[in-house]
Amino acid sequence: MTPIISIQNVTKRFQSADSAAVLALDNINLDIQKGEFVSLIGPSGCGKSTLLRVIADLIQPTAGTVLVNDKPAAQARKDRDYGMVFQNATLYDWRSIIKNVELPLEIMRFPKPERTRRAREMLKLVELGDFEEKYPWQLSGGMQQRVSIARALAFEPKILLMDEPFGALDEMTRERMNNELLRIWKSIDGMTVIFVTHSIPEAVYLSTRVVVLSPRPGRLSEIIDIPLPQPRSAATRDMDEFFHLSTRVRNALRFGVEN
Amino acid sequence: MAETLSDNNPSLAAVVRVDNPPPDRSTLKTVLTMLVLVILIALVWEGAKSFARAQEYKLNLFGSEIDLSIFNNTKLPHLGDIARAFGEPAQRNGPPLYQTLINYSLFTFSEALLGFGIGSILGFLLAIIFAHSSLLQRGLLPYVVASQTIPILAIAPMVVIWMRNIGQSSLAVPVIAAYLTFFPVTIYTLRGLTSVPQTSLELMHSYAATRWQILWKLRIPNALPHIFTAFKISATASVVGAVIGELPSGIQNGLGIALLNFTQFYNQSPPRLWAAIVAAALLGIIFFVSMSLLERLVVRWQVKESD
Repeated sequence: MTPIISIQNVTKRFQSADSAAVLALDNINLDIQKGEFVSLIGPSGCGKSTLLRVIADLIQPTAGTVLVNDKPAAQARKDRDYGMVFQNATLYDWRSIIKNVELPLEIMRFPKPERTRRAREMLKLVELGDFEEKYPWQLSGGMQQRVSIARALAFEPKILLMDEPFGALDEMTRERMNNELLRIWKSIDGMTVIFVTHSIPEAVYLSTRVVVLSPRPGRLSEIIDIPLPQPRSAATRDMDEFFHLSTRVRNALRFGVEN
Repeated sequence: MAETLSDNNPSLAAVVRVDNPPPDRSTLKTVLTMLVLVILIALVWEGAKSFARAQEYKLNLFGSEIDLSIFNNTKLPHLGDIARAFGEPAQRNGPPLYQTLINYSLFTFSEALLGFGIGSILGFLLAIIFAHSSLLQRGLLPYVVASQTIPILAIAPMVVIWMRNIGQSSLAVPVIAAYLTFFPVTIYTLRGLTSVPQTSLELMHSYAATRWQILWKLRIPNALPHIFTAFKISATASVVGAVIGELPSGIQNGLGIALLNFTQFYNQSPPRLWAAIVAAALLGIIFFVSMSLLERLVVRWQVKESD
């Protein structure tokens, strides 16, 4: 089966004017299949966000190629194959909640009634149906992030790229958001998620595979399958297998740093 | 932030409020603060005058004599006399001064407003060009900055001559006002257009948005609070530009000429010049406040700053 995302020999070097070049990504190879939930985990500076931005064609790799749906990443971006969620919700302050969700649909020139219909539907999906006319500053951090997920899903992409989306939330909210995200992932057939995080329990809880990256230079140090049963719930976190897998990820992270 | 500051430091709060309009409930407080300030200034004004008169306009301080004659009635009229001057005609059998000043103010305001409009559009377009071409920005921005180092008094007569040459004399004063207006609009709009958060921009790129869409849906809304800051500065600057522009252009029914005439006949009636100064100041303040109100209507999302 052809992978939905194929990362081939990707290297990214950042050249700054005053110092030597920084090797952010060093020869990364990774295939991701349709319907997977893959977490990229690693300490800060390991290039996990850079890798996500290379997949999204927001930055160009120094060497190597990324294929999304069997085409170059640049073409996939133009075809709007993926939706993106950032660490800060990145809502536009001057737009109401529903207008924020409609933003990608406006850019893509959907007719007005269709925009409203889809935005409403997505806000219901993230359980914010009653907040349509509010403005971003009137919502809590967790609610804002749910709006940004609704916005990313509004044009029905089959790939969701998430850059530490719950990193700024408190632990309780984060766990609730994790369940919400899994519910959405399950509810959309064939949805693939690439999720950047630095939280081990979050990566293990959410993912079907965890990709561990090591820093300086950013290298792929280990790929760990997470065969925990679906659907996942609070009980998942109490399973021996959950602890076992968390330890494996932790060891892989430690090994990567020490090398 | 503005809330806590206004409790113990009214002057600082006024500065902060230029950027963050306060919520409505503090409007009353602002008005009261202003009223108290006006009363204080009036007390100092009249207090200094009566003190100087009691000293017979001479003060002996540590052996040296200080001249206090700037506080006498020709140099610093009583506030009551200035107020009374508004009601008396400036010319024999003419209308009362306040009516003349209102007419002059309206005329000067129409010039200032036209200049404000021309300058704002020019400044806005320049900012959009600069935001999209770093080459043009590096090449032209220094000249835009340099244009503001030339005194307006040196430019004004030239503008009058040029506009007369092309048969547009009536546009001379608005063009001079525009000259002072466009600069803040260019600088602040450019800042607003380019100070877009990185992820907001990445979001647009992830939608494969065009430059035009990024400009309309991200850069311009992001710039609006900055643009209104510029509008508030430019509103007062355009009044100054219009008043100065009237001097070399021979206009007979504007505030600039009124100020010039009352200066010439100052010895005859000092309060008249002061009345004209008050009128010019009021005009600038009214224009500024209108821009603040417009800002509150348009930039509603900014309430989060003070809420």
